[in-house]
Amino acid sequence: MSGHGFLLAAYVPGTSLIHRSPLWLKFLLVVGCGMASFLIADWAVAAAALAVLCGVFLLSGAGAARLFRAVRPVLPVLLAIGLFQWWQLGAPTAARIVLNVLICVVAASILTATTPVQELLDGVASLARPFRRLGADPERFALTIAIMLRSIPFVAEAFSNVRDSARARGLERNPRALVLPVIITTVAFARQTGEALAARGLGEPGDADD
Amino acid sequence: MSRILLDRVTVRVSVDGRPAPKTLLQQLSLDLTERRIGVIGANGSGKSTLLRLLNGLVAPSEGTVRVDGADTVRAVREVRRRVGFVFTDPLSQLVMPTGREDVDLSLRRSIRNAAERRALAESALERFGLLPLADQSIYELSGGERQLLALAAVLAVDPEVLVLDEPSTLLDLRNRELLRRTLAGLRQQVILSTHDLELAQDMDRVLVVDAGRIAFDGGPAAAVAHYRALSAEGLPAGGTGSAGAVVADGAGVSPGRPRPGQP
Repeated sequence: MSGHGFLLAAYVPGTSLIHRSPLWLKFLLVVGCGMASFLIADWAVAAAALAVLCGVFLLSGAGAARLFRAVRPVLPVLLAIGLFQWWQLGAPTAARIVLNVLICVVAASILTATTPVQELLDGVASLARPFRRLGADPERFALTIAIMLRSIPFVAEAFSNVRDSARARGLERNPRALVLPVIITTVAFARQTGEALAARGLGEPGDADD
Repeated sequence: MSRILLDRVTVRVSVDGRPAPKTLLQQLSLDLTERRIGVIGANGSGKSTLLRLLNGLVAPSEGTVRVDGADTVRAVREVRRRVGFVFTDPLSQLVMPTGREDVDLSLRRSIRNAAERRALAESALERFGLLPLADQSIYELSGGERQLLALAAVLAVDPEVLVLDEPSTLLDLRNRELLRRTLAGLRQQVILSTHDLELAQDMDRVLVVDAGRIAFDGGPAAAVAHYRALSAEGLPAGGTGSAGAVVADGAGVSPGRPRPGQP
């Protein structure tokens, strides 16, 4: 298990304007793009928005190859969704839906490519701080988000490895041979991660409060 | 130096398809105060379970484990502040994409100030010569670099005791040597399990674990000899000659304490 696959772009150190932008602005960009994806009704507007976001990503200096690597894992799913929507609702709607999903992925990639994970954790912990009154633990919340981000490439890589193994044994059309090993690997990974966090005393209530 | 006390500790786990629980460790009583302690034994003998007890990762089914008086069940948080744990495979324990982020994560537990945390993370990485690799993906590091990074992440919070579960198993000769030197230079009390008998020889005290019991407890030379003899038992004829010789060599080297009922 190499874990090299990334759904979102990994952090690329740099000093670009995007890197130096405050975290809240980048968060706002992601939330705004998420909301816009529900509101944009015209595929041409969605295409223009995606082009702007790609431009912003490239301005950060993270590179086109990294952008493609960030988007590549969702392309097969988007292709399937696009074809289905084309069949059901026509080409313009299919294009709009696919482009809107890509907008969300690229916006999230801008955030992750230009913000170190520590800064993201600090930001999420700050955002969650008001919920402390309701009994929530901001540090645990931030840690959960970090683990989730770390787990996405692992699960994608697990699926890719299992698919290769199934193909080598001529079982690529057997859903059980594809799904079960991924579930088992993922559960083992979750247990392992939980144990590693526990051993380091991370995620316990009231961290950094002492 | 810390004092770790195990008082009549038994660990049992239930296994699917078996009516009775399986006993992993049985009635262990130990007083661990030496600076360097090794645990050797066959696969499945209970070495890892013994080490996991010390950090509270495994709770005893019977008996108690105390680290400087703190019970590993009732005061697990306190215990984990005192006892750092390094896993066999560093990828199991490095949870962040880069070294810098992982060491920073360790420090989040105790330091809220981000700038202070980052400075401490850098100094922890520098100590192990890992600063140039700080922003590299953990998957791009060599096995030795990963193991050192896992050590740096655990030592960044300055625990009193460092427990390592077979730390040299995945390392090549050069990295094994690097690990040995690094461990030798640590101020912490070190307790490790290993199949590397050379590494075991560096210890002040070595426990030989067999079938969930301490089969031998003493100096490294005698313990290794005892372990060789134990491992040779039941091997086909012709495989026991050298082990017998080693037992003879090691017999008078160290005042070891074979446990009652054990060879």
